[in-house]
Amino acid sequence: MYPGRLLLLALIMLALPLAACGDDDAGSGAGTADAPGSSFPEVEREARGQTVRWWMFGGDDRINAYVKDVVAPAAKKKGVTLRQVPITDTADAVQRVVAEKRAGKTSGGGVDLIWINGENFAAGKKAGLWLEGWALDLPSAKFIDLEDPTITTDFKVGVEGQESPWSRAAFVYAHDSAKVKPPPKDFDELLAYAKANPGRVTYPAPPDFTGSAFIRQVVAAKGEDEAFAYLRQLKPLMYRKGKTFPKSEAELNGLFADGEVDFAMSYEFGFIRNEVRKKSFPDTARPFLLGKGALANVSFVTIPANAAHQAGAKVVADLLLSPELQAAKADPKGLGSPTVLDLSKLEADDAAAFEGSSSGPYVLKDLGEPVEEIAADEVAPLETRWKREVLRG
Amino acid sequence: MEARGAARLRAERRRALLAAAPALGVLTLLFGGALAGAARTSLVPLGGEPTLDAWRALYGDPAFADSVRFTLQVTLLSTLLSCALAMLVALVMRRRSVVVRALLSMPVPVPHLLVAVAAVLWLAPGGLADRALGGLPLTLVRDDLGLGVVLVYVYKETPFLVLLLLAAMGEALAAREEAAAVHGASQWQRLRWVVWPAVRTPLVVGGIVVAAFVLGAFEVPLTIGPSYPPTLSEFALQATQGDLLAGEGVAAATLLLTAVASTLLAILAVRLAKDAAGG
Amino acid sequence: MVETRVQRVLGGLLATAFALPLLVLVVRAFADRWRAPALLPQDWGMRGIELAFSGQAAEAFWTSLLVAVVTTAVALVLGWPAARVLGERRLKRPAIAFLLLAMPLLVPPYATGAGLTEWFLRLGLVDTVSGIVLAHLVGVLPYVVVVLLSAFGPEVTALEEMGRASGLAPLQRWRWVTLPAVAPTLAAAAFLGFLVSWSQYGSSLAVGGGRPMLPVVMLPFVRSDPQVAAALALLFLAPAIAALALTARAARSPL
Repeated sequence: MYPGRLLLLALIMLALPLAACGDDDAGSGAGTADAPGSSFPEVEREARGQTVRWWMFGGDDRINAYVKDVVAPAAKKKGVTLRQVPITDTADAVQRVVAEKRAGKTSGGGVDLIWINGENFAAGKKAGLWLEGWALDLPSAKFIDLEDPTITTDFKVGVEGQESPWSRAAFVYAHDSAKVKPPPKDFDELLAYAKANPGRVTYPAPPDFTGSAFIRQVVAAKGEDEAFAYLRQLKPLMYRKGKTFPKSEAELNGLFADGEVDFAMSYEFGFIRNEVRKKSFPDTARPFLLGKGALANVSFVTIPANAAHQAGAKVVADLLLSPELQAAKADPKGLGSPTVLDLSKLEADDAAAFEGSSSGPYVLKDLGEPVEEIAADEVAPLETRWKREVLRG
Repeated sequence: MEARGAARLRAERRRALLAAAPALGVLTLLFGGALAGAARTSLVPLGGEPTLDAWRALYGDPAFADSVRFTLQVTLLSTLLSCALAMLVALVMRRRSVVVRALLSMPVPVPHLLVAVAAVLWLAPGGLADRALGGLPLTLVRDDLGLGVVLVYVYKETPFLVLLLLAAMGEALAAREEAAAVHGASQWQRLRWVVWPAVRTPLVVGGIVVAAFVLGAFEVPLTIGPSYPPTLSEFALQATQGDLLAGEGVAAATLLLTAVASTLLAILAVRLAKDAAGG
Repeated sequence: MVETRVQRVLGGLLATAFALPLLVLVVRAFADRWRAPALLPQDWGMRGIELAFSGQAAEAFWTSLLVAVVTTAVALVLGWPAARVLGERRLKRPAIAFLLLAMPLLVPPYATGAGLTEWFLRLGLVDTVSGIVLAHLVGVLPYVVVVLLSAFGPEVTALEEMGRASGLAPLQRWRWVTLPAVAPTLAAAAFLGFLVSWSQYGSSLAVGGGRPMLPVVMLPFVRSDPQVAAALALLFLAPAIAALALTARAARSPL
């Protein structure tokens, strides 16, 4: 009857685009950078008058303030207008670039710069989404340590000049020193703590990136199968008996701030300082590590191959990497996050600007032996295994 | 005479069709395009050949089945409760002033996300209700049955349904009720035979809209729903947070299935409503 | 029916029950510190307000407002004839029309937005106001038509007949008979349409990600900074509440 005819019509509509689907990746894959000979001043000239749309997470007021009050004016001095496009998840930006690629849009793309790392970068690289070979041509690139695997690889995927480093992350935990003294030193002690204090420990559920990082640390410390046995053991001792987990780091922070659980965690090295400043965490909150060192990684900015304003994006990337802006970022009064620059490569006064960035009781001075991230394509399987064996378990 | 009448009828029908054409045509174009785009994404991964991988992945995933079950559960509960509540509230609110009605409608302009945030502030352990009452008897945030989710949707959708019902319960209806009362009909008889036929259609339509919305929304379960199972839209979101390129296909397939389910539900509900009313 | 005191009290209670929980958002916006077990914030402050307005919020507010107003207007113009036709039951097979109207409402909005992105990219509509309006129209038009159609029917037709019999020209009939007769429902349809567009997240992100829209700007804060989110929520609610007040006034028309 009528629904039948409608269904037929719908099927025809569905079939049409499939028939036309051969034409979506017109043109080559990743665009290449300007010829090796072109100098940066030329790039800067081309960048004048461009508006760079930087797609990045929009929910952190300090980062937003840094972009608006430090980066944007610096870009303005070079004639580049920087415009932050706030998103909830990096995947939103990557999906836009993917959609543009599907639509055959090889130039004039709406995304000029993305704050990215890990799986998102790897997925884009595999699909040929990023501009190639530009990151090492930036003037500020001479200040980074090319021997550092966290700079040249991103979750074990070669960076190969497709992204430029911006920020360092170190995974730290928080406890309230007025209540828990001393905090557990490693995962086994954490389990013992949970046994003694059931219902006071939890972590965000993967695929939230903080929860995912926690799982990865346990895996790094114990090996995969042992790690999952450990997590299954921990589950009934957790907050709400492990039946339900916070869905994000922010939610866990809220639980910690309200005193529902005893530990919080974050990739953000200075997160305790920031939460205390937001008057969310108690003043007695203190950082600690589980295991020999903090899980560390670097996050980058990348330029899609079809970006409309590549020159402007390169100028911004260079500014982000410059000693002045890195120092501003490391300033504990602002963001207070560690720099990606190799301080030994800087001039003495430039390097001096970075003193004091790890001062105060809310940040750790010693991050131990940094724990490396696993390969990008191993992340999703771990998360799936967690969902299967621990969440549903 | 017959022929002229029939011709006029045909001409009128054509005019009616033309009048409705702009709206329906625009919708067909845009919505059909959206469906086609989503279907394409689910069938053709970036730079690859058409494949049923995404659909097969869904079929084989037990988490998907659990997600379907949970989503249907929450949807049915939310819809039935809010329809029943809206009916009762509309009857009470019929003769209230505009101010009172406006207060009642407060949740309507508030996006679901904000209502969920308010719900967390009130209902979470350590939330306002906990602080005021010294403890809640039920877990309402991130509970296994999704009761918190149902509560938020009922809170948010009931005023919307009430508005729809009140729009149908105007002066004309009041006049008809008066007439019935004059003829000796009791309150119950008036409700059953005068009020109900007038509100039946908006209620069913509103109920379908609510059901479809709850079926596909994700901000509320994201904020206060359980970790497992996720609702269908959460499931789609999580798919893209894993392997992005493969996940896109799975997400598109999930959302398409949600759309199909909603449509079938709607057709079913309309059929049931027609039968119940006797055509 | 006699209006009992019980009914009046009940009405007031219900209204309060629905309106009150939202007040917590207002309090949260101005609460610099509000931790358990305090019932009221320990520290009040303007941090949320300051931060909310320091970013893209202002631009996002005006863009969202523009899009919502244009979308509603277009939906009303396109939808009025369709609503009329459906409300007066002049279609031979209304079921198809209803299905077509209902389907966009039954699909998660993000799916609609994502599905349209590719087409809009090819047409150059992405990140433009027109593109976002079109994407929103998919959700707004059905709501507008479905609500508006309940206004039309034998009563309005009868009134128009009377108008015609009295010698009113079509335009005058429309202005003095039809419009006042459907005013309350028209206001409700416009209000609902406005709201749907105003709160739209999924398609705003997919089709208009490059242009700041209020729901898109607000969502990242919801989980990471509830105070700023609550402040943005107030910004979000202001036009919606204004529209509600306007609708209530329009609904009080004499007919």
